[in-house]
Amino acid sequence: MSDQHIVDRIEVVNVTKRFPGVKSLDAVSFGVRAGEIHALVGENGAGKSTLMKVMAGAYVPDEGEIRFEGEPVQWHSAAHAKRRGIHVIYQELVLFPQSTVAENIFAGAEPRTRVGIIDQRAMNRQAARLLDELGVRIDPRERVRHLSVADQQMVEIAKAMAGDTRVLVLDEPTAVIAGKEVQLLFERLRVLRAKGVAIIYISHRLEEIFALCDRVTVMKDGRRIATQAVSATTREGLVRMMVGREMQEIYPPKPAIPDDAAVLLGVDKLNVGNRVFDASLTVRAGEIVGIAGMVGSGRTELASGIFGAMRTSHGTIEVAGVRRTRMTPAAAMRLGLGFVTEDRKSQGLLMYLNVAQNVSATTLDRFSRFGLLRSRAEREAAAASIREYGIAGARPAGSVATLSGGNQQKVLISRWVRVCRSVLILDEPTRGVDVGAKAEIYRVMRQLTERGLGILMISSELQEVIGMSDRVLVMREGRISGELTGRRLTEHDIMRLATASHVQPEGGGHALVN
Amino acid sequence: MLSSTSSSDLIRHHVVPNGAACVVGALLVVLLIAGACVSDRFATLPNLLNVHQQATGLALVALGQTLAILTGGIDLSVGSLISVAATLTSGLADNAYGGWSTAIAAVLVLSVAVGLLNGVLILWLRVHPLIVTLGMGALLQGAILYYSTGPAGSVPDGFDALAYGRYAGIPVTATVVVALYFAVSFFMRRARLGRYVYMVGDDEQAATLTAIPRARVILFVYVFSALCAGLTGVYLAAQFGSGQPYLGVNYTLASITPVVVGGTVLTGGRGGVIGTLIGVYLLSLLNNLINFAGIPSHYQLVVQGAAIIVAVSVNMQQKRRAA
Repeated sequence: MSDQHIVDRIEVVNVTKRFPGVKSLDAVSFGVRAGEIHALVGENGAGKSTLMKVMAGAYVPDEGEIRFEGEPVQWHSAAHAKRRGIHVIYQELVLFPQSTVAENIFAGAEPRTRVGIIDQRAMNRQAARLLDELGVRIDPRERVRHLSVADQQMVEIAKAMAGDTRVLVLDEPTAVIAGKEVQLLFERLRVLRAKGVAIIYISHRLEEIFALCDRVTVMKDGRRIATQAVSATTREGLVRMMVGREMQEIYPPKPAIPDDAAVLLGVDKLNVGNRVFDASLTVRAGEIVGIAGMVGSGRTELASGIFGAMRTSHGTIEVAGVRRTRMTPAAAMRLGLGFVTEDRKSQGLLMYLNVAQNVSATTLDRFSRFGLLRSRAEREAAAASIREYGIAGARPAGSVATLSGGNQQKVLISRWVRVCRSVLILDEPTRGVDVGAKAEIYRVMRQLTERGLGILMISSELQEVIGMSDRVLVMREGRISGELTGRRLTEHDIMRLATASHVQPEGGGHALVN
Repeated sequence: MLSSTSSSDLIRHHVVPNGAACVVGALLVVLLIAGACVSDRFATLPNLLNVHQQATGLALVALGQTLAILTGGIDLSVGSLISVAATLTSGLADNAYGGWSTAIAAVLVLSVAVGLLNGVLILWLRVHPLIVTLGMGALLQGAILYYSTGPAGSVPDGFDALAYGRYAGIPVTATVVVALYFAVSFFMRRARLGRYVYMVGDDEQAATLTAIPRARVILFVYVFSALCAGLTGVYLAAQFGSGQPYLGVNYTLASITPVVVGGTVLTGGRGGVIGTLIGVYLLSLLNNLINFAGIPSHYQLVVQGAAIIVAVSVNMQQKRRAA
């Protein structure tokens, strides 16, 4: 494992970080040396981001220690860590679009003249020198909003170099750039490595790790699985470490779907904005169809397009025999679709309303007569849902805000099941939900399909996708890159379809192309 | 960071529906006791009936404002609309063609038109209600100054009964307005449209996804708010005997104060009209007390400003804890 004689530039030792109901980091130790590019990989939710936030002072660890250049430190804030030279470049760039390149590079640390005003000329000169060192041709006086995304990223890197950056963290830097720009980015990072900066590189794209990085650390379920030299590992080995784990027995058995089961939802060559292209899929009665893929691969946009929450530009959606080119949430509900969104708090629950009012939100017409609500009927229906779905701790007149994540999710499912007659779309149904509640949600899902509903489930958890889905569609960069069923439905193959830059059939057991 | 689930959370969520309204209710009691100490005429029935009567105008305009704020919007055109309505009332009621019934009909038609226009612009231009109604207010103020720069006409004899009429010693209009509050409160809790108002204000994205008729909700609340403001103008014309173009100028801010003091959050979705009613009486009592204590009346504005800041910050604290 790691060489004991080299002192890491920054190191965390046995760091644990808990969030309500979840252990996001479980006694993780991890270190980066000066002058190396260290890849950090793992599935969504493995704990990579939490680990970075602990290192950069955005989170305070519950247990464990941070050592910076061999000395134990405690970051009071992200600003404190930044002053000591920890610089993070987040996926969403943190720039002031209306300000110039130079103003962005020196934001908060502007060179001043003797009377204390900003020395524009010195600032532009220093910015030009920095950009020159990076080998990019950008005018420091240009406004950032006029730059391409790739150039904006270079401004971020110049920002990192303006101070005395000791540790540079890049979170999915290639999510927004492509091709030649990626090669340029790699060259710049190698220059920084040669200058002795410790670089942490988070990416889903395994080929980049082999092209750029020196060592790689694999994380999974909040633990560090392994740290190896990149030269000593293979793509297959990495994938196995990222996904390999025992199946837990929390998934209900999958019934056989008859071949003649009615097609409830048919999507044909759907385009959603510039996020989803040519997506086609079907969901049959009694079937759970999983959609896997990395965050940002267009899964949520596809679901939103089907439900009419995002505008589609091309293609058709057919629900229970009715074909439409334009969908709206109202039309989708009339056709019997339901949509439990990814973000419970900002897109689903009505936090100020009580449980009964949340459950009845889609079906108020059933609980009203001459425009007046029949509160008792509403409360009784909610009480029945609470019993049916086992929503623990909920009373019809009680608050939804105080329920646990799993019970909030059940409130939303019971809301949508009331209108759902064909297909229920579930986006990340068990995010932020503990294992016990997960099992109950899975049981409810199977109950619904037994009644003849179809389910379209988006999930970042591979295990869940495999455990629950009868069929899995994998998305990558806005397209459905393949379909997996039966024995070919493995974490390994999903990861390959979700990350590979070319989907190519290989010999042996991996016929990946649909 | 999350706060621990303390007993205060329990009280907020389970024992009382709206903690802020209860705090204000308690303040009301404290104020009555304090007033009784300042002057022995304060806590007497005749004085309290006066307070009741004097609260009418504010109560009426704040009722409509509450609904606008519950959707997450705001209506900043009410002050100007009150001026327009009051001026129009006294101008037309005095007129050979008109009479008081024509005047009121004209005010109602104008109010519905203004409210519809506010609503349509909010929906159609997708501009925040703050901007739309601010612009509408300026527009109305300009229009009324074109019509008249000073008091317009005077209300006919007997019209002041609208403001001062009493039955068995009880102010009639003020009591009708209180009854209206309870009717609207019932509507907000029990009618489907009332529920939609809360849903739109609670979470617009969730409301969209559940196919709530948002356009209908927005049109409804701004027409209702405009109607309340128009009627406030009619009432004030009766109270002062004449309408003039700056009569309503303080009412825009004044109408928001009791809403937030009564526990309705400015971002919408939480609160209600009964809280506003309590807020109205709290502020009216406070003003009355200022008079009794011999404090110059411009301090009333200072009190109003302080009340709005304190109320909003209390609400924000609650919201942060709930999040």
